Amino acid sequence: MVMKNARNVHFWQIDNKVKNILKVNGVTLLTSPEAWEKFNWTRKYFSKRPKQGYFIWIKNQVNFPLFSCVSIAHKNISQKLQNLLIVEKGLKVSLQGSCNSLKKTLNGKHKANGKIILKQGSSLKYNHIHTWGEKDIVEPEYEFILEKNSKLDYTYKTLFTPKKLKINNSFNLSAGASCDIKMIANCVGTEMNIKDVLILKGKGSSGIINLRLVSGKKSKVLAHSQVIADSESKGHLDCQGLLTDKKSNISLIPELVCKNKLAQITHEASIGKISQEQLNYLRTRGLTEKQATNLIINGFLET
Amino acid sequence: MFLEIKNLKVESNGKKILKGVNLEIKKGDVQVLLGSNASGKSTLCHAILGNPKYKITSGQIFFQGKDITNFTPEKRVRLGLALSFQSPPAIKGVKTSKLLNKISVIKNSKLKGLEQIFNKHLLKRDVNLDFSGGEKKMSELIQILVLNPKLVIFDEVDSGLDLKKIRSVAEMIKKELIDKKISVLLVTHSGSILNFLKPNITNVMVSGKIVCRDKNYKKVLKTIKKYGYEKCKKCPFLAD
Repeated sequence: MVMKNARNVHFWQIDNKVKNILKVNGVTLLTSPEAWEKFNWTRKYFSKRPKQGYFIWIKNQVNFPLFSCVSIAHKNISQKLQNLLIVEKGLKVSLQGSCNSLKKTLNGKHKANGKIILKQGSSLKYNHIHTWGEKDIVEPEYEFILEKNSKLDYTYKTLFTPKKLKINNSFNLSAGASCDIKMIANCVGTEMNIKDVLILKGKGSSGIINLRLVSGKKSKVLAHSQVIADSESKGHLDCQGLLTDKKSNISLIPELVCKNKLAQITHEASIGKISQEQLNYLRTRGLTEKQATNLIINGFLET
Repeated sequence: MFLEIKNLKVESNGKKILKGVNLEIKKGDVQVLLGSNASGKSTLCHAILGNPKYKITSGQIFFQGKDITNFTPEKRVRLGLALSFQSPPAIKGVKTSKLLNKISVIKNSKLKGLEQIFNKHLLKRDVNLDFSGGEKKMSELIQILVLNPKLVIFDEVDSGLDLKKIRSVAEMIKKELIDKKISVLLVTHSGSILNFLKPNITNVMVSGKIVCRDKNYKKVLKTIKKYGYEKCKKCPFLAD
Protein backbone atom coordinates (compact mmCIF):
# COMPACT_ATOMS: atom_id res chain seq x y z
CA MET A 1 0.00 0.00 0.00
CA VAL A 2 1.43 3.37 -0.96
CA MET A 3 0.28 6.34 1.04
CA LYS A 4 -2.50 7.87 -0.97
CA ASN A 5 -1.59 11.37 0.02
CA ALA A 6 2.19 11.38 0.44
CA ARG A 7 2.15 15.00 1.58
CA ASN A 8 0.60 13.83 4.86
CA VAL A 9 3.37 11.33 5.56
CA HIS A 10 5.50 12.49 8.46
CA PHE A 11 8.49 10.35 7.58
CA TRP A 12 8.81 9.23 3.98
CA GLN A 13 11.71 7.23 2.57
CA ILE A 14 11.99 5.82 -0.93
CA ASP A 15 14.77 3.30 -1.61
CA ASN A 16 17.69 4.75 0.40
CA LYS A 17 16.72 8.39 0.30
CA VAL A 18 14.53 10.36 2.66
CA LYS A 19 11.93 12.03 0.52
CA ASN A 20 10.22 14.11 3.17
CA ILE A 21 9.96 14.79 6.88
CA LEU A 22 7.05 16.85 8.15
CA LYS A 23 7.25 19.08 11.19
CA VAL A 24 4.79 18.39 13.98
CA ASN A 25 4.46 20.52 17.10
CA GLY A 26 5.64 18.65 20.14
CA VAL A 27 7.36 15.96 18.09
CA THR A 28 11.02 15.69 17.10
CA LEU A 29 11.23 13.95 13.77
CA LEU A 30 14.68 13.24 12.37
CA THR A 31 16.55 10.59 10.50
CA SER A 32 18.25 8.16 12.86
CA PRO A 33 21.77 9.27 11.81
CA GLU A 34 20.81 12.86 12.67
CA ALA A 35 19.44 11.78 16.05
CA TRP A 36 22.66 9.88 16.76
CA GLU A 37 24.64 13.06 16.16
CA LYS A 38 22.27 15.47 17.88
CA PHE A 39 21.23 13.52 20.98
CA ASN A 40 23.97 11.54 22.68
CA TRP A 41 21.45 9.76 24.87
CA THR A 42 19.90 8.02 21.86
CA ARG A 43 23.10 6.03 21.34
CA LYS A 44 22.16 3.55 24.08
CA TYR A 45 19.09 2.63 22.07
CA PHE A 46 20.81 2.08 18.73
CA SER A 47 22.80 -1.15 18.48
CA LYS A 48 25.35 0.66 16.28
CA ARG A 49 25.68 3.97 14.42
CA PRO A 50 22.60 4.08 12.18
CA LYS A 51 22.87 4.70 8.45
CA GLN A 52 19.20 5.23 7.85
CA GLY A 53 15.84 5.02 9.58
CA TYR A 54 13.55 7.32 11.52
CA PHE A 55 13.72 8.87 14.94
CA ILE A 56 10.36 9.95 16.33
CA TRP A 57 10.31 11.50 19.76
CA ILE A 58 6.83 12.42 20.89
CA LYS A 59 7.10 14.94 23.71
CA ASN A 60 3.63 16.49 23.70
CA GLN A 61 0.15 15.20 23.04
CA VAL A 62 -0.59 14.79 19.31
CA ASN A 63 -4.24 14.32 18.52
CA PHE A 64 -3.88 12.88 15.05
CA PRO A 65 -2.10 9.76 13.78
CA LEU A 66 1.51 10.02 12.68
CA PHE A 67 2.40 8.34 9.40
CA SER A 68 5.64 6.73 8.35
CA CYS A 69 6.22 5.22 4.95
CA VAL A 70 9.26 3.35 3.67
CA SER A 71 9.12 2.14 0.08
CA ILE A 72 11.25 0.25 -2.37
CA ALA A 73 10.77 1.65 -5.84
CA HIS A 74 13.70 0.29 -7.85
CA LYS A 75 15.34 -3.06 -8.50
CA ASN A 76 17.88 -4.67 -6.15
CA ILE A 77 17.60 -2.02 -3.43
CA SER A 78 18.84 -2.96 0.00
CA GLN A 79 17.48 -1.01 2.97
CA LYS A 80 18.93 -1.22 6.46
CA LEU A 81 16.88 0.89 8.80
CA GLN A 82 17.34 1.56 12.44
CA ASN A 83 14.23 3.15 13.88
CA LEU A 84 13.62 4.66 17.27
CA LEU A 85 10.25 5.79 18.57
CA ILE A 86 9.83 7.28 22.02
CA VAL A 87 6.50 8.25 23.54
CA GLU A 88 6.85 10.43 26.61
CA LYS A 89 5.01 9.97 29.89
CA GLY A 90 1.22 9.93 29.87
CA LEU A 91 0.78 10.66 26.15
CA LYS A 92 -1.72 8.82 23.98
CA VAL A 93 -0.65 8.53 20.38
CA SER A 94 -1.36 6.64 17.21
CA LEU A 95 1.08 5.63 14.48
CA GLN A 96 0.43 4.24 11.02
CA GLY A 97 3.51 2.63 9.55
CA SER A 98 3.69 1.37 6.02
CA CYS A 99 6.61 -0.52 4.44
CA ASN A 100 6.24 -1.69 0.88
CA SER A 101 7.52 -2.47 -2.57
CA LEU A 102 5.98 -0.47 -5.36
CA LYS A 103 6.24 -3.36 -7.81
CA LYS A 104 6.00 -7.12 -7.52
CA THR A 105 9.42 -8.12 -8.86
CA LEU A 106 11.99 -5.64 -7.53
CA ASN A 107 14.17 -8.15 -5.65
CA GLY A 108 14.36 -5.73 -2.75
CA LYS A 109 15.82 -6.28 0.71
CA HIS A 110 14.28 -4.52 3.67
CA LYS A 111 15.91 -4.92 7.02
CA ALA A 112 14.51 -2.89 9.89
CA ASN A 113 15.80 -2.82 13.40
CA GLY A 114 13.78 -0.82 15.83
CA LYS A 115 13.11 0.15 19.39
CA ILE A 116 9.82 1.49 20.59
CA ILE A 117 9.79 2.94 24.05
CA LEU A 118 6.60 3.78 25.87
CA LYS A 119 7.32 5.88 28.92
CA GLN A 120 5.30 5.60 32.10
CA GLY A 121 1.53 5.77 31.61
CA SER A 122 1.73 6.40 27.88
CA SER A 123 -0.32 4.63 25.26
CA LEU A 124 0.43 3.75 21.64
CA LYS A 125 -1.83 2.37 18.95
CA TYR A 126 0.41 1.21 16.16
CA ASN A 127 -0.82 -0.20 12.85
CA HIS A 128 2.09 -1.60 10.91
CA ILE A 129 1.15 -2.55 7.35
CA HIS A 130 3.48 -4.40 4.98
CA THR A 131 2.95 -4.92 1.25
CA TRP A 132 5.73 -6.71 -0.62
CA GLY A 133 6.67 -8.10 -3.97
CA GLU A 134 7.06 -11.80 -4.55
CA LYS A 135 10.88 -11.68 -4.78
CA ASP A 136 11.63 -9.42 -1.80
CA ILE A 137 13.40 -10.40 1.39
CA VAL A 138 12.13 -8.71 4.54
CA GLU A 139 13.49 -8.85 8.07
CA PRO A 140 11.93 -6.59 10.70
CA GLU A 141 13.20 -6.87 14.25
CA TYR A 142 11.57 -4.71 16.92
CA GLU A 143 11.95 -4.39 20.62
CA PHE A 144 9.06 -2.79 22.48
CA ILE A 145 9.85 -1.49 25.94
CA LEU A 146 6.76 -0.73 27.96
CA GLU A 147 7.41 1.23 31.11
CA LYS A 148 5.13 1.25 34.14
CA ASN A 149 1.38 1.39 33.36
CA SER A 150 1.93 2.01 29.66
CA LYS A 151 -0.26 0.43 27.02
CA LEU A 152 0.44 -0.89 23.54
CA ASP A 153 -2.03 -1.92 20.85
CA TYR A 154 0.08 -3.27 17.99
CA THR A 155 -1.20 -4.75 14.73
CA TYR A 156 1.21 -6.06 12.13
CA LYS A 157 -0.49 -6.98 8.90
CA THR A 158 0.91 -8.23 5.64
CA LEU A 159 -1.51 -9.31 2.95
CA PHE A 160 1.09 -9.39 0.18
CA THR A 161 4.02 -11.33 1.53
CA PRO A 162 7.60 -11.38 0.21
CA LYS A 163 9.67 -14.41 -0.79
CA LYS A 164 11.24 -14.52 2.67
CA LEU A 165 9.90 -12.90 5.79
CA LYS A 166 11.71 -13.12 9.08
CA ILE A 167 10.14 -11.30 12.00
CA ASN A 168 11.60 -10.99 15.46
CA ASN A 169 9.67 -9.05 18.07
CA SER A 170 10.04 -8.76 21.79
CA PHE A 171 7.67 -7.02 24.16
CA ASN A 172 9.09 -6.16 27.53
CA LEU A 173 6.45 -5.12 30.08
CA SER A 174 7.05 -3.34 33.37
CA ALA A 175 4.58 -3.24 36.27
CA GLY A 176 0.98 -2.52 35.26
CA ALA A 177 1.82 -2.32 31.55
CA SER A 178 -0.38 -4.07 29.04
CA CYS A 179 -0.26 -4.99 25.39
CA ASP A 180 -2.51 -6.45 22.73
CA ILE A 181 -0.52 -7.81 19.79
CA LYS A 182 -1.97 -8.99 16.49
CA MET A 183 0.27 -10.54 13.86
CA ILE A 184 -1.61 -11.14 10.61
CA ALA A 185 -0.08 -12.60 7.47
CA ASN A 186 -1.53 -14.08 4.31
CA CYS A 187 1.48 -16.01 2.98
CA VAL A 188 1.55 -16.76 -0.72
CA GLY A 189 4.70 -18.54 -1.91
CA THR A 190 6.52 -17.31 1.20
CA GLU A 191 9.01 -18.71 3.63
CA MET A 192 8.01 -17.07 6.89
CA ASN A 193 9.76 -17.34 10.19
CA ILE A 194 8.28 -15.38 13.04
CA LYS A 195 9.34 -15.17 16.63
CA ASP A 196 7.47 -13.16 19.26
CA VAL A 197 8.49 -12.98 22.87
CA LEU A 198 6.28 -11.42 25.50
CA ILE A 199 8.13 -10.80 28.75
CA LEU A 200 5.88 -10.02 31.69
CA LYS A 201 8.46 -8.52 33.95
CA GLY A 202 6.48 -6.27 36.24
CA LYS A 203 3.76 -7.09 38.71
CA GLY A 204 0.30 -6.67 37.28
CA SER A 205 1.47 -6.60 33.69
CA SER A 206 -0.65 -8.36 31.09
CA GLY A 207 -0.47 -9.16 27.42
CA ILE A 208 -1.95 -11.17 24.63
CA ILE A 209 -0.46 -12.22 21.32
CA ASN A 210 -2.83 -13.19 18.52
CA LEU A 211 -1.38 -14.89 15.46
CA ARG A 212 -3.47 -15.33 12.32
CA LEU A 213 -1.36 -16.95 9.65
CA VAL A 214 -2.51 -18.22 6.28
CA SER A 215 -0.18 -20.47 4.31
CA GLY A 216 -0.81 -21.03 0.61
CA LYS A 217 0.94 -21.58 -2.73
CA LYS A 218 3.90 -23.56 -1.41
CA SER A 219 4.44 -21.37 1.67
CA LYS A 220 6.33 -22.56 4.69
CA VAL A 221 5.38 -20.87 7.93
CA LEU A 222 7.14 -21.32 11.23
CA ALA A 223 5.85 -19.31 14.18
CA HIS A 224 7.39 -19.50 17.61
CA SER A 225 5.63 -17.44 20.26
CA GLN A 226 6.75 -17.26 23.83
CA VAL A 227 5.29 -15.80 27.00
CA ILE A 228 7.65 -15.47 29.92
CA ALA A 229 6.07 -14.56 33.23
CA ASP A 230 8.65 -13.23 35.67
CA SER A 231 6.13 -11.79 38.11
CA GLU A 232 2.49 -11.95 39.14
CA SER A 233 1.02 -11.25 35.72
CA LYS A 234 -1.34 -12.48 33.02
CA GLY A 235 -0.52 -13.56 29.50
CA HIS A 236 -2.17 -15.42 26.67
CA LEU A 237 -1.14 -16.76 23.27
CA ASP A 238 -3.75 -17.34 20.61
CA CYS A 239 -2.09 -18.91 17.56
CA GLN A 240 -4.21 -19.92 14.60
CA GLY A 241 -3.15 -21.08 11.19
CA LEU A 242 -5.05 -21.78 8.01
CA LEU A 243 -3.64 -24.01 5.28
CA THR A 244 -5.03 -23.34 1.85
CA ASP A 245 -3.20 -25.88 -0.30
CA LYS A 246 -1.52 -29.27 -0.12
CA LYS A 247 2.00 -28.04 -0.80
CA SER A 248 2.18 -25.54 2.08
CA ASN A 249 2.80 -26.06 5.71
CA ILE A 250 2.52 -24.32 9.06
CA SER A 251 4.33 -25.02 12.30
CA LEU A 252 3.03 -23.24 15.37
CA ILE A 253 5.09 -23.40 18.55
CA PRO A 254 3.46 -21.68 21.50
CA GLU A 255 5.69 -21.71 24.55
CA LEU A 256 4.88 -20.68 28.11
CA VAL A 257 7.60 -20.04 30.65
CA CYS A 258 6.39 -19.34 34.16
CA LYS A 259 8.76 -18.08 36.82
CA ASN A 260 6.20 -16.88 39.34
CA LYS A 261 3.60 -19.06 41.01
CA LEU A 262 1.03 -16.26 40.99
CA ALA A 263 1.23 -15.71 37.24
CA GLN A 264 -1.53 -16.91 34.92
CA ILE A 265 -0.36 -17.73 31.45
CA THR A 266 -2.31 -19.71 28.89
CA HIS A 267 -2.21 -20.60 25.24
CA GLU A 268 -4.32 -22.02 22.45
CA ALA A 269 -3.19 -23.12 19.03
CA SER A 270 -4.92 -24.61 16.04
CA ILE A 271 -4.33 -25.15 12.35
CA GLY A 272 -7.24 -25.74 10.04
CA LYS A 273 -8.16 -25.81 6.40
CA ILE A 274 -10.86 -24.07 4.42
CA SER A 275 -14.21 -25.63 5.22
CA GLN A 276 -15.82 -27.22 2.17
CA GLU A 277 -19.22 -26.54 3.71
CA GLN A 278 -18.52 -22.78 3.94
CA LEU A 279 -17.11 -22.76 0.44
CA ASN A 280 -20.17 -24.49 -1.05
CA TYR A 281 -22.48 -22.21 0.90
CA LEU A 282 -20.84 -19.06 -0.47
CA ARG A 283 -20.96 -20.49 -3.98
CA THR A 284 -24.72 -20.79 -3.63
CA ARG A 285 -24.60 -17.05 -3.00
CA GLY A 286 -23.11 -16.51 -6.44
CA LEU A 287 -19.45 -16.26 -5.43
CA THR A 288 -16.90 -18.16 -7.51
CA GLU A 289 -14.68 -20.65 -5.72
CA LYS A 290 -11.84 -18.11 -5.72
CA GLN A 291 -14.04 -15.28 -4.42
CA ALA A 292 -15.43 -17.55 -1.71
CA THR A 293 -11.93 -18.69 -0.69
CA ASN A 294 -10.69 -15.11 -0.44
CA LEU A 295 -13.70 -14.10 1.65
CA ILE A 296 -13.12 -16.99 4.06
CA ILE A 297 -9.38 -16.20 4.32
CA ASN A 298 -10.03 -12.51 4.95
CA GLY A 299 -12.62 -13.48 7.55
CA PHE A 300 -10.09 -15.74 9.28
CA LEU A 301 -7.52 -12.95 9.34
CA GLU A 302 -10.07 -10.59 10.91
CA THR A 303 -10.94 -12.85 13.84
CA MET B 1 -41.32 -25.33 -18.17
CA PHE B 2 -39.30 -23.20 -15.74
CA LEU B 3 -37.54 -25.99 -13.84
CA GLU B 4 -37.63 -29.55 -15.10
CA ILE B 5 -35.95 -32.48 -13.41
CA LYS B 6 -35.78 -35.75 -15.28
CA ASN B 7 -35.07 -39.10 -13.64
CA LEU B 8 -32.45 -37.61 -11.31
CA LYS B 9 -30.24 -40.02 -9.43
CA VAL B 10 -27.85 -38.63 -6.82
CA GLU B 11 -25.41 -40.08 -4.35
CA SER B 12 -23.31 -38.67 -1.55
CA ASN B 13 -20.31 -40.38 0.07
CA GLY B 14 -21.08 -43.46 -2.04
CA LYS B 15 -24.64 -43.72 -0.75
CA LYS B 16 -27.49 -43.63 -3.27
CA ILE B 17 -29.99 -41.05 -2.04
CA LEU B 18 -32.13 -39.92 -4.95
CA LYS B 19 -33.37 -42.83 -7.01
CA GLY B 20 -34.96 -41.23 -10.03
CA VAL B 21 -36.68 -37.93 -9.21
CA ASN B 22 -39.01 -36.22 -11.68
CA LEU B 23 -40.26 -32.71 -10.95
CA GLU B 24 -41.66 -29.82 -12.94
CA ILE B 25 -42.11 -26.25 -11.72
CA LYS B 26 -43.76 -23.51 -13.81
CA LYS B 27 -43.13 -19.78 -13.55
CA GLY B 28 -45.04 -18.35 -10.60
CA ASP B 29 -45.72 -21.77 -9.08
CA VAL B 30 -45.78 -22.24 -5.33
CA GLN B 31 -45.05 -25.89 -4.81
CA VAL B 32 -44.33 -27.87 -1.71
CA LEU B 33 -42.21 -30.97 -1.29
CA LEU B 34 -43.20 -33.01 1.73
CA GLY B 35 -41.30 -35.96 3.07
CA SER B 36 -40.09 -37.61 6.24
CA ASN B 37 -36.61 -37.06 7.64
CA ALA B 38 -33.88 -38.63 5.48
CA SER B 39 -36.22 -39.12 2.53
CA GLY B 40 -33.85 -37.15 0.25
CA LYS B 41 -35.48 -33.70 0.27
CA SER B 42 -32.36 -31.73 1.23
CA THR B 43 -30.29 -33.77 -1.22
CA LEU B 44 -32.65 -32.72 -3.99
CA CYS B 45 -32.37 -29.05 -2.93
CA HIS B 46 -28.57 -29.16 -2.99
CA ALA B 47 -28.43 -31.17 -6.23
CA ILE B 48 -30.59 -28.55 -7.96
CA LEU B 49 -28.13 -25.85 -6.81
CA GLY B 50 -25.12 -27.96 -7.84
CA ASN B 51 -23.52 -28.51 -4.43
CA PRO B 52 -20.39 -30.57 -5.30
CA LYS B 53 -20.96 -32.72 -2.22
CA TYR B 54 -23.81 -34.39 -4.07
CA LYS B 55 -22.91 -36.38 -7.17
CA ILE B 56 -25.44 -36.65 -9.98
CA THR B 57 -25.02 -40.16 -11.40
CA SER B 58 -27.79 -39.89 -14.00
CA GLY B 59 -30.69 -37.71 -15.06
CA GLN B 60 -30.91 -34.06 -16.07
CA ILE B 61 -31.89 -30.68 -14.65
CA PHE B 62 -33.25 -28.01 -16.98
CA PHE B 63 -33.78 -24.37 -15.97
CA GLN B 64 -35.53 -22.07 -18.41
CA GLY B 65 -34.87 -24.61 -21.15
CA LYS B 66 -31.10 -24.86 -20.42
CA ASP B 67 -29.51 -28.10 -19.34
CA ILE B 68 -27.77 -27.00 -16.12
CA THR B 69 -26.90 -30.49 -14.86
CA ASN B 70 -23.17 -29.83 -15.02
CA PHE B 71 -23.19 -26.12 -14.18
CA THR B 72 -21.26 -24.83 -11.12
CA PRO B 73 -23.39 -23.56 -8.21
CA GLU B 74 -22.46 -19.93 -8.91
CA LYS B 75 -23.50 -20.25 -12.55
CA ARG B 76 -26.90 -21.63 -11.51
CA VAL B 77 -27.32 -18.78 -9.02
CA ARG B 78 -26.46 -16.23 -11.67
CA LEU B 79 -29.21 -17.76 -13.85
CA GLY B 80 -31.75 -17.12 -11.08
CA LEU B 81 -31.83 -20.18 -8.84
CA ALA B 82 -31.54 -19.71 -5.07
CA LEU B 83 -31.54 -21.95 -2.04
CA SER B 84 -32.32 -21.08 1.55
CA PHE B 85 -30.35 -23.53 3.70
CA GLN B 86 -31.89 -25.49 6.53
CA SER B 87 -28.69 -25.20 8.59
CA PRO B 88 -26.43 -22.56 7.08
CA PRO B 89 -22.82 -22.70 8.27
CA ALA B 90 -21.29 -19.93 10.36
CA ILE B 91 -18.44 -18.01 8.76
CA LYS B 92 -16.24 -16.47 11.41
CA GLY B 93 -14.82 -13.04 10.65
CA VAL B 94 -17.14 -12.33 7.72
CA LYS B 95 -19.75 -9.73 8.60
CA THR B 96 -23.27 -10.35 7.27
CA SER B 97 -23.25 -6.85 5.76
CA LYS B 98 -20.04 -7.68 3.87
CA LEU B 99 -21.55 -10.83 2.38
CA LEU B 100 -24.71 -8.94 1.40
CA ASN B 101 -22.57 -6.29 -0.30
CA LYS B 102 -20.65 -8.96 -2.22
CA ILE B 103 -23.89 -10.57 -3.39
CA SER B 104 -25.37 -7.24 -4.42
CA VAL B 105 -22.27 -6.46 -6.50
CA ILE B 106 -22.32 -9.88 -8.18
CA LYS B 107 -26.04 -9.72 -8.93
CA ASN B 108 -26.13 -5.99 -9.49
CA SER B 109 -29.03 -5.78 -7.06
CA LYS B 110 -30.00 -3.15 -4.53
CA LEU B 111 -29.51 -3.43 -0.81
CA LYS B 112 -31.42 -0.32 0.08
CA GLY B 113 -34.79 -1.05 1.56
CA LEU B 114 -33.98 -4.69 2.11
CA GLU B 115 -31.72 -3.78 4.99
CA GLN B 116 -34.70 -2.25 6.72
CA ILE B 117 -36.43 -5.62 6.85
CA PHE B 118 -33.45 -7.07 8.63
CA ASN B 119 -32.41 -6.34 12.16
CA LYS B 120 -29.53 -3.91 11.67
CA HIS B 121 -27.76 -5.39 14.67
CA LEU B 122 -27.42 -8.70 12.78
CA LEU B 123 -25.70 -7.00 9.85
CA LYS B 124 -22.74 -6.24 12.07
CA ARG B 125 -22.42 -9.83 13.25
CA ASP B 126 -20.46 -12.64 11.60
CA VAL B 127 -22.48 -14.65 9.09
CA ASN B 128 -24.71 -17.10 11.01
CA LEU B 129 -22.38 -17.12 14.01
CA ASP B 130 -24.40 -17.74 17.18
CA PHE B 131 -27.59 -16.80 15.32
CA SER B 132 -30.83 -18.12 16.80
CA GLY B 133 -33.04 -20.29 14.59
CA GLY B 134 -35.18 -17.30 13.66
CA GLU B 135 -32.16 -15.09 12.94
CA LYS B 136 -30.73 -17.73 10.61
CA LYS B 137 -33.96 -17.92 8.64
CA MET B 138 -34.13 -14.14 8.35
CA SER B 139 -30.51 -13.96 7.28
CA GLU B 140 -31.12 -16.60 4.61
CA LEU B 141 -34.21 -14.76 3.41
CA ILE B 142 -32.48 -11.40 3.07
CA GLN B 143 -29.60 -13.00 1.17
CA ILE B 144 -32.13 -14.66 -1.15
CA LEU B 145 -33.81 -11.31 -1.79
CA VAL B 146 -30.49 -9.64 -2.63
CA LEU B 147 -29.82 -12.50 -5.07
CA ASN B 148 -32.82 -11.26 -7.04
CA PRO B 149 -33.88 -14.81 -7.91
CA LYS B 150 -36.37 -16.31 -10.33
CA LEU B 151 -36.92 -19.54 -8.43
CA VAL B 152 -36.31 -20.04 -4.72
CA ILE B 153 -36.05 -23.32 -2.83
CA PHE B 154 -36.64 -23.11 0.91
CA ASP B 155 -35.19 -26.10 2.72
CA GLU B 156 -37.16 -26.55 5.97
CA VAL B 157 -37.80 -22.85 6.37
CA ASP B 158 -40.29 -23.61 9.16
CA SER B 159 -38.08 -25.89 11.25
CA GLY B 160 -37.11 -24.66 14.69
CA LEU B 161 -39.47 -21.67 14.58
CA ASP B 162 -42.50 -20.94 16.71
CA LEU B 163 -45.82 -20.22 15.01
CA LYS B 164 -45.42 -16.45 15.28
CA LYS B 165 -42.01 -16.59 13.56
CA ILE B 166 -43.32 -18.96 10.89
CA ARG B 167 -46.08 -16.47 10.17
CA SER B 168 -43.69 -13.55 9.80
CA VAL B 169 -41.32 -15.55 7.55
CA ALA B 170 -44.30 -16.72 5.46
CA GLU B 171 -45.62 -13.16 5.14
CA MET B 172 -42.28 -12.00 3.86
CA ILE B 173 -42.01 -14.87 1.36
CA LYS B 174 -45.50 -14.00 0.12
CA LYS B 175 -44.89 -10.26 -0.14
CA GLU B 176 -41.38 -10.31 -1.56
CA LEU B 177 -41.52 -13.41 -3.76
CA ILE B 178 -44.91 -15.01 -4.40
CA ASP B 179 -46.76 -11.73 -5.04
CA LYS B 180 -43.99 -10.85 -7.51
CA LYS B 181 -44.60 -14.12 -9.40
CA ILE B 182 -41.27 -15.61 -8.36
CA SER B 183 -41.49 -19.40 -8.28
CA VAL B 184 -41.14 -21.02 -4.87
CA LEU B 185 -40.49 -24.59 -3.79
CA LEU B 186 -41.11 -25.11 -0.08
CA VAL B 187 -39.44 -28.19 1.30
CA THR B 188 -40.78 -29.28 4.66
CA HIS B 189 -41.44 -32.37 6.72
CA SER B 190 -43.84 -30.79 9.16
CA GLY B 191 -45.87 -28.70 6.74
CA SER B 192 -46.34 -25.98 9.41
CA ILE B 193 -45.74 -23.15 6.94
CA LEU B 194 -48.63 -24.37 4.76
CA ASN B 195 -51.01 -22.79 7.28
CA PHE B 196 -49.83 -19.46 5.87
CA LEU B 197 -48.74 -20.20 2.30
CA LYS B 198 -51.03 -22.12 -0.01
CA PRO B 199 -49.14 -24.21 -2.56
CA ASN B 200 -50.75 -24.91 -5.92
CA ILE B 201 -48.97 -28.27 -6.16
CA THR B 202 -47.94 -30.66 -3.40
CA ASN B 203 -45.28 -33.31 -3.94
CA VAL B 204 -44.41 -36.11 -1.56
CA MET B 205 -40.99 -37.73 -1.42
CA VAL B 206 -40.44 -41.17 0.03
CA SER B 207 -37.10 -43.01 -0.03
CA GLY B 208 -35.51 -40.84 -2.69
CA LYS B 209 -38.47 -40.69 -5.08
CA ILE B 210 -41.39 -38.34 -5.54
CA VAL B 211 -44.33 -40.67 -5.11
CA CYS B 212 -47.24 -38.23 -5.05
CA ARG B 213 -48.16 -35.01 -6.84
CA ASP B 214 -51.48 -33.41 -6.03
CA LYS B 215 -53.16 -30.02 -6.26
CA ASN B 216 -54.94 -30.37 -2.91
CA TYR B 217 -52.36 -29.86 -0.18
CA LYS B 218 -54.97 -30.18 2.56
CA LYS B 219 -55.93 -33.65 1.41
CA VAL B 220 -52.31 -34.79 1.21
CA LEU B 221 -51.46 -33.33 4.62
CA LYS B 222 -54.51 -34.95 6.16
CA THR B 223 -53.55 -38.35 4.76
CA ILE B 224 -49.96 -38.02 5.98
CA LYS B 225 -51.11 -36.90 9.42
CA LYS B 226 -53.46 -39.83 9.70
CA TYR B 227 -51.41 -42.62 8.17
CA GLY B 228 -47.84 -41.33 7.95
CA TYR B 229 -45.57 -41.12 4.91
CA GLU B 230 -45.44 -44.92 4.59
CA LYS B 231 -49.05 -44.86 3.45
CA CYS B 232 -47.98 -42.82 0.39
CA LYS B 233 -45.95 -45.78 -0.83
CA LYS B 234 -49.10 -47.86 -1.05
CA CYS B 235 -51.20 -45.13 -2.63
CA PRO B 236 -52.84 -46.30 -5.90
CA PHE B 237 -52.25 -42.86 -7.45
CA LEU B 238 -48.45 -42.95 -7.38
CA ALA B 239 -46.88 -40.13 -9.32
CA ASP B 240 -44.66 -42.35 -11.46
